[in-house]
Amino acid sequence: MLSNGSIAPSSLGPKDLPWQIRWSQQKCTLCGRCTAVCPVHAIDLGVFRQRSVKPHLGLQQPPGTDYRIYYGIRQKTDPAYACIGCGMCSQVCPNEAIMPYHNDEPDKLRFHMDRGGQPMRRGGRRNDPGGVLDQIKFTRISMLTDPALDAGRHEFELSTLLGRILSPEEQLTTYREQGWEPPVREIYPLIIGSMSFGALSPNMWEGLMMGVAYLNEEMGMPVRMATGEGGCPPRLLRSRFLKYVILQIASGYFGWDQIIHALPEMKEDPCAVEIKYGQGAKPGDGGLLMWYKVNKLISAIRGVPMGVNLPSPPTHQTKYSIEEAVAKMIQSMSMAWGFRVPVYPKISGTSTALAVLNNLSRNPYAGAMAIDGEDGGTGAAYNVSMDHMGHSIASNIRDCYLNLVKLGQQNEIPLFAGGGVGKRGNLAANAAALIMLGASGVQSGKYVMQAGAGCVGSEAGRCNICNIGRCPKGITSQDPRLYRRLDPERVAERVVDFYLSFDTELRKIMAPLGRSTSLPIGMSDALGVSDAEIAERLSIKHVV
Amino acid sequence: MSQEQERAIQIHGVEDGHRLESRVLEERMQRAIADGHTRLRVETMGQHGIGGRLWRAGNQEVEVTVQGPSGQRLGSMGFPNTLIVALEHASDDVGWLNAGADITVRGHASNGVANAMAQGRVSIGGNIGSRGMTMTKHNPRFDPPELWVLGSVGDYFAEFMAGGVAVICGHKPQNPENILGYRPCVGMVGGRIFFRGPHKGYSQVDAELVPISDEDWQWLRDDLAAFLERIGRTELLETLADRESWQLLQARSPFEKASRSKQSIQAFRENIWDRELGRGGLIGDLSQADRSPVPVITTGELRRFVPVWANRKYAAPCEASCPTGMPVQERWRLIREGRVDEGVDLALAYTPFPASICGYLCPNLCMQGCTRGQNGLIPVDVPQLGKRSLKAKPPAELPEITGASVAVIGGGPAGLSAAWQLRQRGHNAVVFDRADRLGGKMSQAVPSSRIPEEVLQSELERIRNVLPHVHLQQELGPEDIQQLKQDYDYVVLAVGAQQGKKLPVPGSERLLPALEFLRHSRKGRAEVGRRVVIIGAGNVGCDAATEAKRLGAEEITLVDIQEPASFGKERREAEEAGAVFRWPVFTQEVCEDGVLLTSGELIPADTVLVSVGDQPETGYLPGSVELEGGFVRVDEQYRTSDPAIFAVGDAVGPGLLTDAVGAGRHVARAIEGLQQGRDPEGDRRPMIDTSRIRTEYFDPRIQSLDGIDDCSKQCASCGVCRDCGVCAAICPQAAIFRVDLGADGFEMRVDPELCIGCGFCAGACPCGIWEMVENDPLPE
Repeated sequence: MLSNGSIAPSSLGPKDLPWQIRWSQQKCTLCGRCTAVCPVHAIDLGVFRQRSVKPHLGLQQPPGTDYRIYYGIRQKTDPAYACIGCGMCSQVCPNEAIMPYHNDEPDKLRFHMDRGGQPMRRGGRRNDPGGVLDQIKFTRISMLTDPALDAGRHEFELSTLLGRILSPEEQLTTYREQGWEPPVREIYPLIIGSMSFGALSPNMWEGLMMGVAYLNEEMGMPVRMATGEGGCPPRLLRSRFLKYVILQIASGYFGWDQIIHALPEMKEDPCAVEIKYGQGAKPGDGGLLMWYKVNKLISAIRGVPMGVNLPSPPTHQTKYSIEEAVAKMIQSMSMAWGFRVPVYPKISGTSTALAVLNNLSRNPYAGAMAIDGEDGGTGAAYNVSMDHMGHSIASNIRDCYLNLVKLGQQNEIPLFAGGGVGKRGNLAANAAALIMLGASGVQSGKYVMQAGAGCVGSEAGRCNICNIGRCPKGITSQDPRLYRRLDPERVAERVVDFYLSFDTELRKIMAPLGRSTSLPIGMSDALGVSDAEIAERLSIKHVV
Repeated sequence: MSQEQERAIQIHGVEDGHRLESRVLEERMQRAIADGHTRLRVETMGQHGIGGRLWRAGNQEVEVTVQGPSGQRLGSMGFPNTLIVALEHASDDVGWLNAGADITVRGHASNGVANAMAQGRVSIGGNIGSRGMTMTKHNPRFDPPELWVLGSVGDYFAEFMAGGVAVICGHKPQNPENILGYRPCVGMVGGRIFFRGPHKGYSQVDAELVPISDEDWQWLRDDLAAFLERIGRTELLETLADRESWQLLQARSPFEKASRSKQSIQAFRENIWDRELGRGGLIGDLSQADRSPVPVITTGELRRFVPVWANRKYAAPCEASCPTGMPVQERWRLIREGRVDEGVDLALAYTPFPASICGYLCPNLCMQGCTRGQNGLIPVDVPQLGKRSLKAKPPAELPEITGASVAVIGGGPAGLSAAWQLRQRGHNAVVFDRADRLGGKMSQAVPSSRIPEEVLQSELERIRNVLPHVHLQQELGPEDIQQLKQDYDYVVLAVGAQQGKKLPVPGSERLLPALEFLRHSRKGRAEVGRRVVIIGAGNVGCDAATEAKRLGAEEITLVDIQEPASFGKERREAEEAGAVFRWPVFTQEVCEDGVLLTSGELIPADTVLVSVGDQPETGYLPGSVELEGGFVRVDEQYRTSDPAIFAVGDAVGPGLLTDAVGAGRHVARAIEGLQQGRDPEGDRRPMIDTSRIRTEYFDPRIQSLDGIDDCSKQCASCGVCRDCGVCAAICPQAAIFRVDLGADGFEMRVDPELCIGCGFCAGACPCGIWEMVENDPLPE
């Protein structure tokens, strides 16, 4: 926009932006849909002056000079209005006249996203498209060595266990002494990871939950969904659908008084309680739901007044040591439902995961351990946390599993892995890889948003504005004008579809391994990778 | 029968108590056929593939009787000429890849019966094991294959069955509660299964139960008899031929599979979800807000942003830049509309000197602020309009005096502006000046070369007509001020800055203040020597240089301690007069023969003028009026520390003429506010963001404007609708229309039911009128 005048340090041109709008004057009908839909006002109608000089043949007459005015779509270069590449403009364009393209070089915008001294924040994901999970192959293909199974024909038992499983000796003792046996749930190994009511729009949340209920009640698949930290709608707490729900408690404790009040009226126990200590996308950092997002609905569900900031600190306030924190949180949460509900902590991927695991393995009330790797998603985080902090899930889960193997407890305390599962669309392959590395199941959030609701975010820095409430698909917005773009029924349909297809794909991986009656948890002899260092680190086969 | 048996050739599969290899038995059988035998009795011991592939017999029927235990794949790859009867039980895969043989097993058969059979028939006189009738085909060139089982079938029956007919009679089944076994029909894509007896389900995705038609029954009834004959159990016919006891499973067509009915999500929501949770679903108890789906492109209340026709909400940059608040763009609009007189006269509402100042003496801040100038176009030429404003006429009738009475001390631009504004607002303003004529600095100090005398006189005359109460040649002392305070509601000090600042150097008594020099020059009483040095190269110094030149000076030097602050016409004219600017230089002493600098250099001079700033005379002011740095201290409303006394113009600080006029106007409004008991308020609107103005509509090659008509056409009309109709034309929804408001003009309106909030109107508007504002929140 700076055709004339001075430049400031943050004066950028289109070339400096991560996304560049290409617009075709020839195709454009000037219908206004692209500018109406753009979530960040990156484009507007421009008035253009075009000059033509008309010299005459033979130069016998003085040349003419003329201007014409035309209108077109113009990209703003002010960093505050930089295109996010969501592509909604091209989605609504009737003539394919407009499309954002990624810059062919690292953008300059990143150096100017700190106005007022505020470091850049965003939603979404780590912008790293690679990863270990997609490199892992399943190299054990049984044709004649094991009973060859057929994914379409054979019956498979794909469920997993969530909860503490006693060793055979303990089981016998418990039986003899009629002692307390920890609660164990038989659930589907793909859990919809924690996304709070508030981080997600009401239509999105309801759509997901409806899909989960459908899978359970119509398809017989014991799929579970974790609430995230934002409480749980009161009606859900009092419905039979609660058994499909993993309630999360985190450092902000939002909505928990509502849950406690609902205890006497619950028809069912929840599937489990997840205590969140960390999030893979922003390890060691907390969250803040800005006051303007705390509308009537959020306030009712979270049990807070409207229009106040809702901080979730990086740590639980009453946590003084790992021993104490884990022990007392797990005890308290178990007590709430009379020790009938499995309780487990979720931590972000970290090099200290083994310390937590060792602690949990000694705690008979610890129902599982969930680890959220660095490729996990988030509604809002500092760039620096998202891009530079965290631990990849593959080696983290592997270390933990192998440690349990050393302790002889690998069948007793299930591990759940999350963070980047299916980030490039390979949900079943990634899940199977993690399961064979030692996870009892996986949690996924971003894939759920992408497959379930058409989230346009990508690892290439596309969109990722979940933090500003202007989600163009209505997934992470509390603005009815946006979230009503999302029909809960259609979301539920998509959830059912991608679960069914995941189910088939998982069988397609398991069948050639000759496994059909239980998940191949820790069956790492089936895994191979062409990278020798990865193979060595994960103790799996190096295949070249 | 006995004759046939006699004709049959006996083939031994056991010799000397040893079982022959399957290969050897096969060779013997094939040799017998090749030798022309058609009846084979085979004594077997579990050999593989007995009775298949007997094609050497051509069309000649071959009958193979299997005595003894049959091995796997009895009759595999059997030919249509072959009839096989096994008298005992058979092992796996009876009739595997059967291509036409009629195979009968009198006893039971184990797993895989008829697997991949394409033609022919397999009849079993007992039960069969798992995976019977799997992968069967029906080649349209031939009759479909058939499997007949007297008893029951094992698990996984008819997997991937793609054709043929199976008949399961359910007589003495292995499991009386389930004659079809576990999970039959998975992947079945063709064929039919008649069965009799209880079952525990089948793959409903792939198969369906259908009624048995009369034609089907006729076929079944007839062939049942033949089957029983083959297996030698004719006595069962009556028991089995009970139509009511039979059922028929049939493969679903691909179309049926695709549309297999599971409860739709919509039905699930209605019947299960909402029923369990209550009306409105998950949060129906918390919110009654409409959450139904909306399209991406919306109108009405669902638009995220709505356009607002913010006509005149913001000040144009010209107006915002002018201290008087002169709405320059409004004057150009009136002229553009042919209302030239109105456009000219409008100026008098803001200044009594539209010609003298706007046309001649002002550096035209309006033009400096002009949006056009920011975008590489020449600004609209305001002095042309200023000069034309000499003809401006004040309203024929002034309002009756009903308000305050105000004494204005000083008849320069600030005082006259205050008095002019007060009088036009119905207040009584009386002007006192110690000079013999009005105009202050303009009359006394500005060189006559800068403005034609008749222009200034004409404007002063216009002022005198409006302000009859003017007292000239009034020297006022401290007691006079006190008196005025008593006689009038307010006093406005507009006494200017008459006293040149002293220069604290030896010989300063030799200096002549430039302002005084200019005043004398205006009266024709000034003289200068051949060489003139002026200390202080600001605009007053420049004026003095120009005048000195006019009065005959030949060498004129302007010195300053820093880069001179002079600008505009003053600077230009001084340069044209040949004045030399020198800086930074510091005066050591003013000597008889010139100015001695600290550097030791002497600039020779016959006359030395000083213009390092002027200050007001303040000796006569009452103690209640506080000073600051030699000037009268005022607040934002130009009120001094004495609440009854205001001060404006150079008395409060150096400024432009237009600053003085603006301050006068401001004071008048402040006094009016006090008089009416309200806070003095400005009429200043915020300036429009110039990036909203589209100067692309104008020709950038125009370098001069000829006359006020031309000027008016080039004005971008920032913030004021020029009624061009571009918004209505660009609107893709045809949502914008013009409403004529009669005497109140017009306005542009938006039909909310058509508008999609694209902002095209705001993007295309030349004047920056349309604003996109966030739509009101929807109810939660």
